[in-house]
Amino acid sequence: MHTPPKNNPKDPTTPPSPTPDQSAQEGASETPGHELNQSAQEGASETPGHELNPGAREGAGPWTDERRERSDRSEEGRDRVKSPLAAARSAAIKNSPLAAARSAAMGRAAISRWVVRDLKARRWEALLVVILVAGVVTALMAAVTLLEDRTNPWRGLFDESNGAHVWIHTNDDPDVEALARLKDVAAVAGPYRAAPASLMQQGRRVPVALRAVPVALPAVARPLVREGRWLDISAVDGVVVERSFARAMGLRPGSPMTVTALNGARHPLVVVGVAGSSDQGFYPEWPGLVWVLPETLNGIEPERGRSESVVGLRMETTDADATRLVAQQVATVLKNQVKRVSTWQEIRASMELDNRLLGTLLGFFGVVGLVAAALAIANAAGGRVLSQLRDLATLKSLGFTRGQIVGTLVVQHGGIGLSGVVLGWLCGHVLTTVVFERTPVPMQSLGVLVGATLVVLVVVGVPAWRGGRTAPIPAAPAAPLRGRLSRPARLALLVRLPPALVLGVRDAVTRPAHAALTALGLAVPMMLIVVGLGSWASLDAFLEDPRRVGQAGALHVRQGALPSADTVRLAMADPRVTSVFPGTEVEALVPGQARTVLARALGTSAQPYPFSVVEGRMFAERGEAVAGQGLFDLLGAKIGDRVRLTVGGTPLIVRFVGRVIEPERDGEVLSLGLDSLAVKDAVPAGFYSLVLRDGADPAVVRAALLAGSNGVLEVRHVVNPAERLAVIRLVVIALIAVLALVGLANLLTVNALGLRDHAADLVVLKAMGLTPRQVMATMVTGTGLMVVVGVLAGTLAGASAAAWLIDLQGHTSGVGAGIGRTPTPLVLAAAVLLAVGAALLVALLPARKAARARLPVTAR
Amino acid sequence: MSNDPVVRTVNLVKIYQNGGVPVPAVRGIDLSVEPGSFTAITGPSGSGKSTLVHMLGGLDPRTSGEIWMSGKRVDTLSESAWALLRRERIGLVFQFFNLIGNMTVADNVELPALLAGATPREARERREYLLGELGLADRADDSPTRLAGGEQQRVALARALANRPSLLLADEPTGNLDSRNTRDVLRLLSQVHKDGQTIIMVTHDARVASLADRLVTLLDGQIVDDGSIPAPRRRPLGRAGDVIELHG
Repeated sequence: MHTPPKNNPKDPTTPPSPTPDQSAQEGASETPGHELNQSAQEGASETPGHELNPGAREGAGPWTDERRERSDRSEEGRDRVKSPLAAARSAAIKNSPLAAARSAAMGRAAISRWVVRDLKARRWEALLVVILVAGVVTALMAAVTLLEDRTNPWRGLFDESNGAHVWIHTNDDPDVEALARLKDVAAVAGPYRAAPASLMQQGRRVPVALRAVPVALPAVARPLVREGRWLDISAVDGVVVERSFARAMGLRPGSPMTVTALNGARHPLVVVGVAGSSDQGFYPEWPGLVWVLPETLNGIEPERGRSESVVGLRMETTDADATRLVAQQVATVLKNQVKRVSTWQEIRASMELDNRLLGTLLGFFGVVGLVAAALAIANAAGGRVLSQLRDLATLKSLGFTRGQIVGTLVVQHGGIGLSGVVLGWLCGHVLTTVVFERTPVPMQSLGVLVGATLVVLVVVGVPAWRGGRTAPIPAAPAAPLRGRLSRPARLALLVRLPPALVLGVRDAVTRPAHAALTALGLAVPMMLIVVGLGSWASLDAFLEDPRRVGQAGALHVRQGALPSADTVRLAMADPRVTSVFPGTEVEALVPGQARTVLARALGTSAQPYPFSVVEGRMFAERGEAVAGQGLFDLLGAKIGDRVRLTVGGTPLIVRFVGRVIEPERDGEVLSLGLDSLAVKDAVPAGFYSLVLRDGADPAVVRAALLAGSNGVLEVRHVVNPAERLAVIRLVVIALIAVLALVGLANLLTVNALGLRDHAADLVVLKAMGLTPRQVMATMVTGTGLMVVVGVLAGTLAGASAAAWLIDLQGHTSGVGAGIGRTPTPLVLAAAVLLAVGAALLVALLPARKAARARLPVTAR
Repeated sequence: MSNDPVVRTVNLVKIYQNGGVPVPAVRGIDLSVEPGSFTAITGPSGSGKSTLVHMLGGLDPRTSGEIWMSGKRVDTLSESAWALLRRERIGLVFQFFNLIGNMTVADNVELPALLAGATPREARERREYLLGELGLADRADDSPTRLAGGEQQRVALARALANRPSLLLADEPTGNLDSRNTRDVLRLLSQVHKDGQTIIMVTHDARVASLADRLVTLLDGQIVDDGSIPAPRRRPLGRAGDVIELHG
């Protein structure tokens, strides 16, 4: 503790109180006659003095000179000069082991002021980071929600409707008593009489299944009325439509609806209600389900032979093994009566089909996007810390401890990232609830929140730790630029390459780690963008060339009342039709699986339909078949294996000779020649698939065929799976936007750092005689090199990964590998040019400003 | 205790390692600075002036030797403890001002007080007083980058004094200023010294150094001269030495 000398009674920390005269006297007594001091005294005499500091001694009463002197002389007065809090801190310094711990609690106001001011100074960058993190977290939230099994609507529908586990379709009424006695079966729904019919909708005929149900809602597999009301005996023409079908058809309670029976008769009906159900999957994977009163069905389809009987079995537990057992017993009990059996697993799987695909895609983009966003945050925070080293050193010289610096930086940069995480989390909730109509599962959404938070904290922690290690000497250069001109650089200058280019390249390689991080920061988003473009290209390929996805036939024709020969002749008469393949679709019972798969016979072994074979070969003989990835996975089979299925009671033994792209039914489809089926199943052909000449418009051909047959033929478009996946395009666009932001954030960091690193160099460069334009070129080259390297690397990685990733995705969704497409070279080139051009533009503006600015020659 | 010097060094040594080669910057300095004194440290470039002051401020760890402040040994303190010490007892002024560009003048001056645990109100009152004293009251809300060099250095001085330090370390405070601003800053330094502030100032300008009442000259990291400055004779006006003898 020091005590001021007697002749100098005022503590420097207290407001100077003496009158100007006194001040002058005291000054004179210290340094008598000193020239400089004389002027200083005069200056002092002019300054207003302690009146300016009314609050400094608030509560202590006015200070008099006498009192001050007495106070300053006393031992305790030394401490009284400071606040009691400060005295406590002085004690803390004496107990230095505790000092660090104590210091952490102090200075929150100082930290918050620094953080607020710094955020204000770069609010746009902060906003950019918030937006991109939010975008990525939103994608992750949507992905986990869509991938989560429990968000599958099946579960809710099944529980609410007290659904049946197994549905059996038979020709005649089955022995319900026997079914109810089966082990594990708790209750039986039905039997309900059901008949196929069609609904004319916007000029096309949509197949519907009419199901006769009683007025009293059944206890098992109860339709869940969502809109309107249930069937009523007073309105015989009233029907209730399954919800997904009603939505697709635009049907609401009160809508008129005309159905056409198989005999061609039309029946006007009115929709009275819309109901949810777990009896079958959603439209269009499953035909539209319409509940009618038994009287109504009798009126529409009096012919018993054209209808079937549907029975639902509710089991005591939802268990896969028990279900299989029940299905096997059903086959035994009902012998050859069974037309088709569907289980709850099939229905559940079909309900999640599209969501799963979308979820996987979003999940992939989300996870890799998180890596990209993490890189962007690391770059932004790291760059900010690097550019602030001098300020951080100043803070340290003011008394910020290392812990406080680290804490400040974590709070600041982590805060930005975490606001993005929280915003994205909220957006994810809104998105999944509003768009996908799913509520995120708390555990999953919490997982995303915690995971993203951890990632943010880790990537922010490293630069913060680096900032904390700053030496507290602010005068030291912030980041010394080392490195001489390398031999190649000198050579380049010697052969008269533009100096701006050489110097720019040198700048880029002066800090290789930083340059690599920058290039990586651009390469990762670029790679993802290319993968996104690949998804886009794959969808385009689907649409442009349906042949590739096994949809060579653009139109399906059902002959109706026309004989087969006439149908073929009529179709072939159109010059735009190149070939006609007879086909039929039957359900084949899979041994040991207690479920049916679709067996599609199309063309003959001698003249097979042009399926898109990606592995093995096309079937060429009776008994040979090809299948989608999903069926191979289901059976655990591979090409060359022989399997035994049952079609309508007849065994069907086929050998797999190839794998095709199969977009329908999760790829669980067997494709074979019509001649491989038993005659009773194959004749007459259920439909004809028409392959059209390239460029022919299916709609025109369809109209011509309808006109030519006087409306007897039923002609329908084949729905391209890509049309169902149109939402993926939205996802791709949104993700490209987010990724572009990630890249932009990285670029801004690079530019800020470049300017900081070169602030001093610029003066030197100008002094050396470089024109502002050359200075600008130097700076842009430095950034541009990293940009070009990053963009090219990302594009190459993306192009090689895109097809593989999409194939992987195809494989897991059952469609099968072979659908992946790399964006065309033209698209890739455009993407690269756009990315590099935009990056250079972003780099150009600050470089131009810096090159033109008159920079003061100051040290850093 | 009351007679303890504000700062005292015993055989203080600083050796930098430059690529494995030891480069001694300070070679055994014994210095004692009494309360209320104004010490100028001068010497040619590379003589170790700044290194010495950095060590006294805890900005640079010493290689060997001892540093005592107000009777307490401080060279053994941890980095955090040094930070606390600086916050409480040491004010620093640098050649390049080192104001924080993102913060206003007012924020820059209030920051140390807030850091030391003052309430925002206390910090504001202290800042208003200091800026008023230094004639910068109307620049409080400006960004430091909009201030002239002399003004920036005055803000830096206000910041250094914000926590009423017992020792003010000034490293070439006028090194980056023109003569008029040099005069302003020196006048202020002189004023705070007169108010009892202990000051150690590094300068290579003999005329600036002559403001002090003690002059320590370093050469190659060692003290080669140490003595109080005699009261200078008054010279006739118009000489070169009168540049800073202007009426402010």
